[in-house]
Amino acid sequence: MKRNKTTARAVMFAILVVYIVFLAFPLVWLVSTSFKPAVEIFTRQATIFPRRLTLENYRDALGEEQILRSVGNSFKVSTLSALATLGIAMPGAYVLARRQTSVNKLVAGWILTSQIFPTILIIVPLFLLLGRASLVNTHLGLIGVYVVWSLPFVLWMLQGYVRGVPVELEEAAAVDGANNLQIVSHIVAPLVLPGLVATGLYAFINAWNEFFFGLVLLKDPDLMTIQVHLARFRGIEGLARWGPLAAGSIIATIPSLIVFAFLQRGLVSGLLSGSVKQ
Amino acid sequence: MAMSRKVLSVMLLCALALGMSCSGLASAGKPVTIRFISLAWQTQAIEAVKAVVAEWNAANPSIQVQYVQMDWGSIHDYMITSFEAKDVPDIFHYESIPIIDFGKRGYLTDLATLISDDLRTDVMPGAWETVTGSNGAIYGIPFLWESLIVLYNKDLFAEAGVKPPTIDNPWTWEEMRQAARLLTKDRHGDGQVDQFGVAFGLKSPVNRVFNLSMGFGGYYFYDQNGKPVIGVGDAEKELLRILLDMMYVEKTASLDGVGLSGPELFPGFFAGKYAMLPGIGVWARQQIVESAPAGFKWGVLPPLKAKTQAQGSTTQTLSIPSAAKHKKEAMQFLEFLANRENMAKLALGDWLFPTRASSLDLPAFRKEEGGWNIATESARHLTLAPWQKVMGFQEFKSKVATPLFQQLFANRISLDEFARRMETEGNRVLQRYQ
Repeated sequence: MKRNKTTARAVMFAILVVYIVFLAFPLVWLVSTSFKPAVEIFTRQATIFPRRLTLENYRDALGEEQILRSVGNSFKVSTLSALATLGIAMPGAYVLARRQTSVNKLVAGWILTSQIFPTILIIVPLFLLLGRASLVNTHLGLIGVYVVWSLPFVLWMLQGYVRGVPVELEEAAAVDGANNLQIVSHIVAPLVLPGLVATGLYAFINAWNEFFFGLVLLKDPDLMTIQVHLARFRGIEGLARWGPLAAGSIIATIPSLIVFAFLQRGLVSGLLSGSVKQ
Repeated sequence: MAMSRKVLSVMLLCALALGMSCSGLASAGKPVTIRFISLAWQTQAIEAVKAVVAEWNAANPSIQVQYVQMDWGSIHDYMITSFEAKDVPDIFHYESIPIIDFGKRGYLTDLATLISDDLRTDVMPGAWETVTGSNGAIYGIPFLWESLIVLYNKDLFAEAGVKPPTIDNPWTWEEMRQAARLLTKDRHGDGQVDQFGVAFGLKSPVNRVFNLSMGFGGYYFYDQNGKPVIGVGDAEKELLRILLDMMYVEKTASLDGVGLSGPELFPGFFAGKYAMLPGIGVWARQQIVESAPAGFKWGVLPPLKAKTQAQGSTTQTLSIPSAAKHKKEAMQFLEFLANRENMAKLALGDWLFPTRASSLDLPAFRKEEGGWNIATESARHLTLAPWQKVMGFQEFKSKVATPLFQQLFANRISLDEFARRMETEGNRVLQRYQ
């Protein structure tokens, strides 16, 4: 019996290792490519580790292409849009979770239908609207778009977390004289903090990875976001400047890795806590 | 009281005049900024464009050019959105097929009256044709064009005793097939071919096959009562038959090429798996120079001869949108960008050909290094591709031609079925645009 248990654990461990290798391989390949000279990238005898290490790709990516500014732009836009999304979604989710009215169904319908429109369909009207508000070619305009883009799903997720908070706690706060705003900010928000972290990260990643709005709405190269910047390394017929592209992608990944490192614990518990209703 | 009113009026007038002169000074002192979208992406090409822009900006403080680099994959959606939203760059870089379509929709400035005589007469007539609409309007300056060349591995040729052809005595397709047989080898003696005579990059086959087919007299698009119709007859089938025979009968062409583009075959080319890469864009030579292993010896063969060596070609273009704010200044910059020296710099940076005859005559395009002398010779055979001005070509290409070519080259449908479906399905698409 014990031997069976040990074998099962060994098999599970082996599967886990294979899965981790499967997940990590593209990243390892990306890091390796970023340190390879062009001759080693265009070869049939490709190796996981570079035979000759070079920093030329990083010099290319960092030097001529001003990539750090684009990383900074993306970080600013993604962080502010994630914070703004949470600022709007938290009270919204509270109302959706606690006030059962016919509006809730309409909101649910809006959330679902808003996800099915392809970007290309709405980009021109959106551009014209932002143009009238003088928000084209500004980070503020792009942040606004990302907030609207992420809001439905964040709202949907957050209301699940809010429903998990016992109503009795809010009633006790109300008895002590707290108003709705105080209840949301002082009682509910701290209790759904893991949910806020999880949904905030979702909004952050959404904005960080987005390409098309960034491409169309920002005209000034100084305002460019990282995804638009990285696309410039692409060429034609499946070709790209692979070395600088890999190096640029590594540089672009660092800020989001830092954010993940800080918020990882909150993210994991947030995902778990949202999955079970009390 | 009357006096003070007069004084007040004079003061107001003075203030107004001063204000107007100040605003005049301000507008005279403020440079016009024109936004220029460039699609140059290879290292040397980016450097060449940036150098020309910097030179212009230094010499023209009143007209400053803002260089914006964009990629080929995004430009179409970007421009369509910009046109519709009427927020356009002053100049954009693209290619002749879509700009004819943009021009027909009224998105572009007709440059016919703005182009200098020097530019008009020096750019080759075939290049002008690629950007001229049916109404005579010129929708862009054609500044670069490419031909399809044949790259070869010099060591494998020498080893097999195959002598490369010369410009004066180019190979026919049949001679290339014979050479491919000599160059196809089972080096390990295990019954498997390790070295193929050729590999055709057929991942995006439409333009490549159409362009090369013109040498056989196969044009695919024909005029019927003033309307374009698709026809796939013997002339069109001739090239396809050669490609299929080499891949599936003689097995001298590697099947790797069915799913890869020409440049994606480079790792195999460098490793000696393919002796020749026919039908590859002339620009791809830069990738060899940057990526080939040390000591790799390669060369360029003259264009293969069918009935003729003719090749269809499109050009890379510079256009001014009709909604651009600074058309006059944009045109001034375009004349500078496309002058003899600068056009040559841009072409060399991208390893393409300039469309100006005087630029093409420069020694840089005649040197042996990089295969320029033979590659440049291929430019003589470029001609306007007949499908370029066919409305609906892009839809036909993506929805009908590409999938059918892919099925044909994967040997899933016969040549006759391919021809029949190209005609029926293709003409159905074209009819919607007539």
